[in-house]
Amino acid sequence: MSELASAPSGPAGAVSVQGVSKVFNAGRPDEVVALSDVDLTVERGQFVSLIGPSGCGKSTLLRLVGDLLPPSAGSITVSGKPAGKARRDQEYGIAFQQAGLFDWRTVRRNVALPLELRGTDRAARNARVDEMLALVGLSDFAGHYPAQLSGGMQQRVAIARALAVHPNLLLMDEPFGALDEMTRERLQGELLRICAAMGTSTVFVTHSISEAVFLSDRVVVMSPRPGRITTIVDVAFPERDETTRQSVLFFDAVTAVRKALREGVPA
Amino acid sequence: MRLVRSVVPPVVVGVVALLGWELTVRIGRIAPFVLPEPSAIWTELAHERANVWDAALTTGLNALIGLLAGALAAVLLAMVASRVPALAEVSVPFAAVLNCLPIIALAPILYNMFEATSNVPRRLVAAIIVFFPVFVNTLRGLREVNPTHRELMHSYAAGGWTFARLVRLPGALPFVFTGLRQASSLAVIAAVVAEYFGGLQDGLGARITSAAALTAYPRAWAYVVGACALGLVFYLTTLLLERISMPWRARQSA
Repeated sequence: MSELASAPSGPAGAVSVQGVSKVFNAGRPDEVVALSDVDLTVERGQFVSLIGPSGCGKSTLLRLVGDLLPPSAGSITVSGKPAGKARRDQEYGIAFQQAGLFDWRTVRRNVALPLELRGTDRAARNARVDEMLALVGLSDFAGHYPAQLSGGMQQRVAIARALAVHPNLLLMDEPFGALDEMTRERLQGELLRICAAMGTSTVFVTHSISEAVFLSDRVVVMSPRPGRITTIVDVAFPERDETTRQSVLFFDAVTAVRKALREGVPA
Repeated sequence: MRLVRSVVPPVVVGVVALLGWELTVRIGRIAPFVLPEPSAIWTELAHERANVWDAALTTGLNALIGLLAGALAAVLLAMVASRVPALAEVSVPFAAVLNCLPIIALAPILYNMFEATSNVPRRLVAAIIVFFPVFVNTLRGLREVNPTHRELMHSYAAGGWTFARLVRLPGALPFVFTGLRQASSLAVIAAVVAEYFGGLQDGLGARITSAAALTAYPRAWAYVVGACALGLVFYLTTLLLERISMPWRARQSA
């Protein structure tokens, strides 16, 4: 159990991004400044969304935090560690727009994969997989193959896999982007419940304003050319459930984000 | 019910075709020494069954050894080529040249390279024929990695070998079997045809040529039927192996 227990992350917060820039194809004619001088802090347990038009660098920022791309300048820490070490220590779980499940593994073995790679023994692994599948409501599907599941169920398996090592941080790149509206709203509710239950901090990339507002404590509004953060909208609801979506506070926050997005894009 | 619907039509077509063949020859539209009627071939097959069986075992063993050796070499080389991009660029045209190599040109040369009693030339011919489809398909499978899988494994800090074992190889399996399915019948054809050009005379190919040389056409056809059945056994065995090793595909439509 002890090897699975998440290490205390210290006072540094879940994510700290300081003065980060990312330039693709530097020095070449097709040079692109994807991100320019970005600062961002995510406190422990916070849910932060990155929103903006295509090309604003929101997915790039997520990949920099996950050390899937190296920054051109600046520094990034995750749970108080440099991003590279945090990745190697599996400090975060990640989910993408494509569920990215392995067709040849059953649901159980898909969720178990990050644990296998950590060298967790079989008994602990099985216990953890059972726990995660119960959390996403798929206990009855442990023996199924991904192709036998609907898109929404596959995405729930991907979330269970991302959370299997009990990471401090969850990175999500438009995980519900390919789903229909009904499934999407149901999964949003489930995600909030799961993150609250596990105390996970989350960085969530989306291009849906209502999704960002419903899920987030803070909505980070970005704009392109060069990619940068223009505004951060703080969102506070007394509760987040289906009635929240109809509340005045919700619409106010949606309006605020929409306004920020419009201002960020020069006419 | 689905089984009935998928089995009955081809069986009916087959029976009708055989009857048409039999009648055409009996009525005398085609001379029996040009094309014997199915009943004559069947009689000959029943009479020669022990010889056909022995010849089929010999040719089958040659084809099997060639298939296994060729496929193994193809998969291993594809794994190497997929890790070294420069090698992959070079290897595909090279494999294509190998594929264009006619076994007709190859078999007599190989027979001269080995002893007269050696089984190696026939097996080598089969292995060379098998190599190309397996290599090309496997290489394609190994190189096609889902970008999400790549990022995911990177986020787990998985090393090269772990990545190959957990993602590349299982992902390439459907491609490997596409190649193997082609290769399985090719191996039998190669093993049969290789015997036309000399070497040991104990297989189906040699029996077909000697029967034809003696104008014993029904007997030649009986061995052709044996070769056909052998190819079918190879193909169906590969299909079965494919089913067994990829259970996630069989259950997909469940």
